[in-house]
Amino acid sequence: MSDCSGIARKGGAAAFFMNSPTFPADVPRERPCQPSPGFGLGLRTTHYADFLAAPQPVDWLEIISDNFLVAGGKPLHMLDTIRANYPMAMHGVSLSIGSADGLDASYLQQIRRLADRVEPLWISDHLCWTRFGGHNSHDLLPLPYTEEALKLVVGHIRQVQDVIGRRFVLENVSSYLSYRNDEMTEWQFLRHVAEEADCLLLLDVNNIYVSSINHGFDAREYLQHIPCERVQQIHLAGHSDHGDYIVDTHNHAVAEPVWALYADACRHLGSVATMIERDDDIPPLPALLVEMERARAIAANALTANAPSSVDAVTA
Amino acid sequence: MTPTTPTPLPLAELQREFIRYLHAHDGVVTDAIAPGGRIAIGQRLDIYHHAYRARLVEVLQDVFERTWAYLGDESFAVTAEAFITAHPPGETTLQHFGQSLPDWLRARFPDDPDVAEVAMIDAMMRAAFEGSDAAPLRLEDFAVLTAEHWTHIGFDFHPTMRLAPITHNAARLWEALDKADTPPAARKLDSPTWLLVWRKEMQPHFISIGETEFVAIEQLARGESFAEVCADLDARFPDNDAAQSMGATLRRWIDDQLLVGLRNR
Repeated sequence: MSDCSGIARKGGAAAFFMNSPTFPADVPRERPCQPSPGFGLGLRTTHYADFLAAPQPVDWLEIISDNFLVAGGKPLHMLDTIRANYPMAMHGVSLSIGSADGLDASYLQQIRRLADRVEPLWISDHLCWTRFGGHNSHDLLPLPYTEEALKLVVGHIRQVQDVIGRRFVLENVSSYLSYRNDEMTEWQFLRHVAEEADCLLLLDVNNIYVSSINHGFDAREYLQHIPCERVQQIHLAGHSDHGDYIVDTHNHAVAEPVWALYADACRHLGSVATMIERDDDIPPLPALLVEMERARAIAANALTANAPSSVDAVTA
Repeated sequence: MTPTTPTPLPLAELQREFIRYLHAHDGVVTDAIAPGGRIAIGQRLDIYHHAYRARLVEVLQDVFERTWAYLGDESFAVTAEAFITAHPPGETTLQHFGQSLPDWLRARFPDDPDVAEVAMIDAMMRAAFEGSDAAPLRLEDFAVLTAEHWTHIGFDFHPTMRLAPITHNAARLWEALDKADTPPAARKLDSPTWLLVWRKEMQPHFISIGETEFVAIEQLARGESFAEVCADLDARFPDNDAAQSMGATLRRWIDDQLLVGLRNR
């Protein structure tokens, strides 16, 4: 398993692909990701006033696309005003890339129109399904990791990429169950999807941790199998620990084991755009900026330290 | 004898059964879930079942904040759960979820139409909040009009403008609930009343209006000229000074940014 952490530091996509088993050394390939814009936060209505009052030390912001699929009024006014000062990524929750009865073409067009307005850094949504047969769970439900689901998801991502005119960014979700008929692990599924659909990944480090506890797998083994050249973004978030299981609630500060896993991810992946994702019990902006700065410090430390990561230790 | 492993469900079947479980808290999807680990299959599915309902209740609490305050936590929770069971969401986004709650409340609480009316104001205010934009007409736009213009000119209302009939003092109730005050007693109104909802700049607003203003807005929105509307009001309401007061009403519409376009008839 190759370690990508050298790419960002040592100039290179070329350096990575020369050593990658996936591509022959004589075929020059572009690294599919954009360079990292740095460290950011999810834009939430409670912080609009802070962003309007003064410049904030974030490199970029992530919006929940679905909150801005409206005709007009304050949501779009705030979006345009804040966008004028910060690059933004678009993150959706309703694409339902794994729906067995297909994508919603009109939703996809709405996302496309919002992208025309926002000119986002990139557009992401989740590896999950939310709706089937005219009913919507509005929850990020796990897919079975089967050949059938793989084929479906790859086809849907290609459809999405045709409409949005760029590579789609796919995020791993947290889950509380798995299926009897799983034919591969989540990380194998994610890797196959990314490579076959030629899409990018949004690695949610908290989700990996949450699922590792709920399903009893090794979070570092998961990380080790991620095609790191395709990781465009990292999410960090808090969760609720119920003892026997953990729920991805996004209503707490990032937990210590997740910070530790993030340090490993940084050593493994190199420089990746990272943000703190908080959706409930949202604290004042300064509290989130402290978390964001901690991420920045961990990443800087991981990139300058030459110590091998525990991910590599697993591989060795 | 070892138990047999159930035949795997095709993805479409699995998703259909999973949704059925979310709705009914029961179903064959349990057979598709992998056993083992620290928690049982039922508990794993319950996490999703609970999250599904909790998220939808949260959306209803957000959109129907004053209805929630009016009914109280317990009654709103029971009502929201019953509504979710009766109207499980089908649309791709949650944007319109709950828009049918006011009508549903009307049927659920036939003796308390004030509850449905408070909910209707909540829903209409949310719709106005995120409705289309349009630049309002200013007083200066009218200064240039000649007497000749006034014989045939009509108006376009703000795209978020909506009218709805109310029979109770829901507007007063909503205003009190919005300020976290104790609402007055629900009371039937003495005369026909409509709610006029629109957005002024970034803020949704509403007022209660009587029959003459309702008729005037309806006719203007249908494309009739201001002169035609005034003449019609004169004929329909000969006993009051409806047509005469239209000058003051027009001035209020302009100040309230309800008008966004002049139209030549």
